[in-house]
Amino acid sequence: MSNPTQPCPVLQGGQRSWAARYGLVIALLILGGALAIRLPTFFTGTNLLIVARQISINGILAVGVTFVLLTGGVDLSLGSVVALAGVVAAGFAHPGDWPLVVPVAMGLLAGTLCGAANGLLVTRGRVAPFIVTLGMMTAARGLALVLSGGRPVSNLSPEFTAIGSASVVGIPVPVLVFSAVAALSAVFLNHFRPGRYIYAVGGNAEAARASGINVHGVKLLSYMVCGAMAGLAGIVLAARTTTGQPNAGVGYELDAIAAVVIGGTSLSGGVGGVKGTVLGALLMGVISSGLDQLNVSAYYQQIIKGLIIVAAVWLDSRGKK
Amino acid sequence: MQIMNAMTRQCWLGLMVTAVLALGLAGCRPAESTGEQVGGAADRPVIGVTLLNLSSEFIVMLDDALQAKAKELGVELIVNDAQRSPERQIQQVESFVARKVDAIILNPCEVEASSPAVDRAKEAGIPIVNVNSETRSTPDAFVGSRDEESARLAMGYLADRLGGKGNLVMIQGYMGQAAQLKRDQGAREVLAAHSGLTLLAEQTAEWDRAKAMSLMENWIQSHGDRIQAVFAQNDEMAMGALIALEQAGMKDKVRVAGVDAIADALQAVKAGRLDATVFQDARGQAGAALETAVALARGEAVERENYIPFQLVTRDNVDRFLKP
Repeated sequence: MSNPTQPCPVLQGGQRSWAARYGLVIALLILGGALAIRLPTFFTGTNLLIVARQISINGILAVGVTFVLLTGGVDLSLGSVVALAGVVAAGFAHPGDWPLVVPVAMGLLAGTLCGAANGLLVTRGRVAPFIVTLGMMTAARGLALVLSGGRPVSNLSPEFTAIGSASVVGIPVPVLVFSAVAALSAVFLNHFRPGRYIYAVGGNAEAARASGINVHGVKLLSYMVCGAMAGLAGIVLAARTTTGQPNAGVGYELDAIAAVVIGGTSLSGGVGGVKGTVLGALLMGVISSGLDQLNVSAYYQQIIKGLIIVAAVWLDSRGKK
Repeated sequence: MQIMNAMTRQCWLGLMVTAVLALGLAGCRPAESTGEQVGGAADRPVIGVTLLNLSSEFIVMLDDALQAKAKELGVELIVNDAQRSPERQIQQVESFVARKVDAIILNPCEVEASSPAVDRAKEAGIPIVNVNSETRSTPDAFVGSRDEESARLAMGYLADRLGGKGNLVMIQGYMGQAAQLKRDQGAREVLAAHSGLTLLAEQTAEWDRAKAMSLMENWIQSHGDRIQAVFAQNDEMAMGALIALEQAGMKDKVRVAGVDAIADALQAVKAGRLDATVFQDARGQAGAALETAVALARGEAVERENYIPFQLVTRDNVDRFLKP
């Protein structure tokens, strides 16, 4: 990958070309322009807030999995962990049961524990991340079904569902959560030592180890952050849909990974960041919302999304040459 | 050192296998007394059941109803979950055949792909009853409901509420599945019968609440006040559309109907939020299927097709469907 003598490879875009750095922004602008012509209502404040709310769950997951992808790992268990955390949180969120912090804390805990299990198996157990998280994908789904008895957990308190539906100063709570998560993650990855270590480990694990970085610790941290974010996304999803559903979130991991990859983070680790991920999630959200509003058939939507994922990465790799 | 490692590894493996077995046992259903003698006398028939997917709420209800009915009839059930895989379903029927059960109840995964399961049972001379959905191969008996009828009821209700004139949107299920195709057909029959009704937009939300919610939000943006009614092909999606409409402050002007009568939807009908849903009678289907299977096992004559009717649920009659 990158130069092993450079322990902290690449700040975003260090040596990347102009096209690679701004390609996504340009794509978003072109797409936005086209939508604005066809759909005069698309660029109204309310609609943009709706699109933002729609991308927030995928956005939170994508930010989380950015940590793991940056270390050169992968997490396929996201969708199942979303369901598990949603069921767990919903179980504590019936009206009059517990104060709001309890379901939120339990959902986050469920996600973090799944992440910790993934991280430990990858580092201590030395099993490939693909396999570990594939196992977790199945096991967490099973656990969600066991805990819920196969039925959605409904009858949730209004305080809890407000996480999905309320607005603060006109901005929906899920959007605020997503923005906060993205901003904190960007600062952490760029300006804090453990964040920089994540890039170092992903760029060259051997070099990182030689320069005294606790590689296992860094990887474990990244899986735990990813799990916690999946837990958070599960809470927001349960609140938004007013139930904890054991079948929720199927395939969410792939949407999240797609957003990260569109955003320029390399699957082999060490390159990329949260800024790109946010743009990637925005692009995917604008496309699917715009195509829905244009009444484009679901069959064509899938083809279009597939082409965009591949095109984005292809453009990115060309830009880097 | 190496030997030690190998030994500890074996110990660990042993421990893990034990743990997994313990978990497996914990997950077992408590065995219903005796029943050692599989395929035994007709006084306690053994019925093999393979279900589409035990992580779907309706199928769980079907399973519960089968268990209750089995206790009532004094029948031993062996229930397998095909987890949406027709291939697994065929294997399960093959193992029922090998165990020489007295009859088989099949809740098919797919019209075509699950057909060999029916063929295997018929080749072996074991009676087989399809419940809830059909296969291309004809079983000894079919018990279920006509999915077209559910959509006809829901869409007919919306047409009445709009006075036969107005604009609707339809949220489709997972494209190409039998339930989606039939509910689509039923809905279109009603549309065709009312020339005043216009279908503004239709799109799949894959039976999923969150997807239906996003879709409805997008439609509210593109069609706005022109939408007067929403038909969702299942309740999960109806609930998603409902929440989106409520958040946009439009629910008082838009009628919403779904299908399935899941618990959440019934609560919403009771609260006056959801306008209508359609009750699919899991208990009725399970009861009739098991009775038919037992009768076939005893060599009695049965109804070859047994349709359990759907029922429209509105605020007027919702109390009958709510569990106490």
